[in-house]
Amino acid sequence: MIFHPLIIALLGASLLVCFLVLYAAAFGSQILRRWDLKSGSELQLALERKTYLISTLLSYLFALELLSLFLFIFTADRIHPFFIGAMCAAGSLDVNGFGTATLLVKIASFLLAGLWLILNAVDNRGIDYPLIRTKYAFLLGIAPLVLAETVFQALYFLRLKPDITTSCCSTLFDSSGGTIASSLAALPAQPMKVVFFVSLILTAAAGILFLIKRRGAGLFAVLSGSHLVVSVLSILSFISVYFYELPTHHCPFCILQKGYGYIGYPIYIAVLGAGLCGLAVGILAPFRKVPSLSEVVPAAQRKLALTALIGLVVFAVIVVHRMIVSNLILR
Amino acid sequence: MIELFEARKVYHAGEPNEFVALQGITLKLNAREMTVIQGPSGSGKTTLLSLIGGMVRPTSGRIYLLGREITSLPERFLTEIRRRTFGFIFQHFNLVRGVSALENVMLPAFPTGESRAALKKRALSLLGLFDVASKAAARVEHLSGGEAQRVTIARALINNPDAVIADEPTAHLDTRLSCELMEMLGRLKAEGKAVLIASHDPLVAEAPAVDRIVQLRDGRIEGDG
Repeated sequence: MIFHPLIIALLGASLLVCFLVLYAAAFGSQILRRWDLKSGSELQLALERKTYLISTLLSYLFALELLSLFLFIFTADRIHPFFIGAMCAAGSLDVNGFGTATLLVKIASFLLAGLWLILNAVDNRGIDYPLIRTKYAFLLGIAPLVLAETVFQALYFLRLKPDITTSCCSTLFDSSGGTIASSLAALPAQPMKVVFFVSLILTAAAGILFLIKRRGAGLFAVLSGSHLVVSVLSILSFISVYFYELPTHHCPFCILQKGYGYIGYPIYIAVLGAGLCGLAVGILAPFRKVPSLSEVVPAAQRKLALTALIGLVVFAVIVVHRMIVSNLILR
Repeated sequence: MIELFEARKVYHAGEPNEFVALQGITLKLNAREMTVIQGPSGSGKTTLLSLIGGMVRPTSGRIYLLGREITSLPERFLTEIRRRTFGFIFQHFNLVRGVSALENVMLPAFPTGESRAALKKRALSLLGLFDVASKAAARVEHLSGGEAQRVTIARALINNPDAVIADEPTAHLDTRLSCELMEMLGRLKAEGKAVLIASHDPLVAEAPAVDRIVQLRDGRIEGDG
């Protein structure tokens, strides 16, 4: 099992990212303690040269980290035929205790690595390393998560046993079950629809307001973050059932399969992308006051807000289209 | 215009072949001034020019351009400053073979995004200024030493830099051409540009346009006046 090409790719990528993040975190602690742009000391100049190299390498590896979330889900889906009872990625992830944990940590890493990439891109456009301390302090916060992800993922793949009988997604996301997943799937569809569309309209309105008036970055970020959570809950509660045309099937993974045109991938990319970009608009807001970023940050925020809005629209179009064409009618 | 503060450059630091090229150089270069850096081979002349021109970073110390610290700048900012501020005249010309003299002159301005027509006009005007307009279409490998040197100067000026940096510019020129070159550099100084020349050719140091001679030995300034 461990020699499956996708698993080797994931483990290799994870080790690479983990090694560089830990190295960069150690370097970052030096930056936090010793960075002094006014000094012309040998150490300061060495730090200036090194941060350029490290942040460039880290950018590529964090981009890989973003992709690895989808590769992980794809892999979990591809290997499900090896396990008795598994019908999709949900079954594969339930084979041992580390599958779901890895997925959750990977989602958190996706968002944090994405935010770091945005911070780094903005910092690189400032002439005096304006966010250098912020981005390395943030990296120190991400490092334990990346380490946990590497360990969890390795344990998950190493402990996969093909003869294990696992649960299928119908059981895992059965609204009458007693698990967290089933409780989430059991969220009532009609109220969730209202919550979802109200959240969507409010978030989009805040984004448009920000683009027009250049105000309300914090509000847009908060709404984007909460809409991300609402979107995931809505997928579990009512969106997925429109795809399956089965009111009792709430699996968030089956939509990633060929039978559903891999529609889950654009859905999750739009949801996560919109959430990430929306959050970043608010996170960047305090840095508008930094003199060397006074033009860079507003431009970056505009691009991010626009990207977030595109993500919201893409997701909304997919959902509404499916609700219209689906043979399922939820009452 | 350009100020070096305690600039030090060490090659292969921490390795058995560690070499200290410059040690604690503090120097101020002004606009409308021609400075000659003199010193024997290995004294650090070329390293000093490279530091000033932003082509090499110091191991320690800082360099200020028009009051702005440039040593810490990430490469993408430094490239822009280098392009707009400095024109380089290299000892071996460093012209691109297989390409015409005109295109060689235009080359440093391509990244600016200026229209090709405007660029061509300016390049031809510069070639005319240095009496090599007739060679515009000729490939650079077919030019004589003097012609190649003039094309090099035209290329150094294509982005209208504030400072011209020349490394041993007379090394491959005879006396007549060397005198002509110094006259040309004198004209650039008169236009308000800072001219910095590294050379151990006495003919350069004795040129009337020279304002200041900095003596360099073993990576240290021995004399300045």
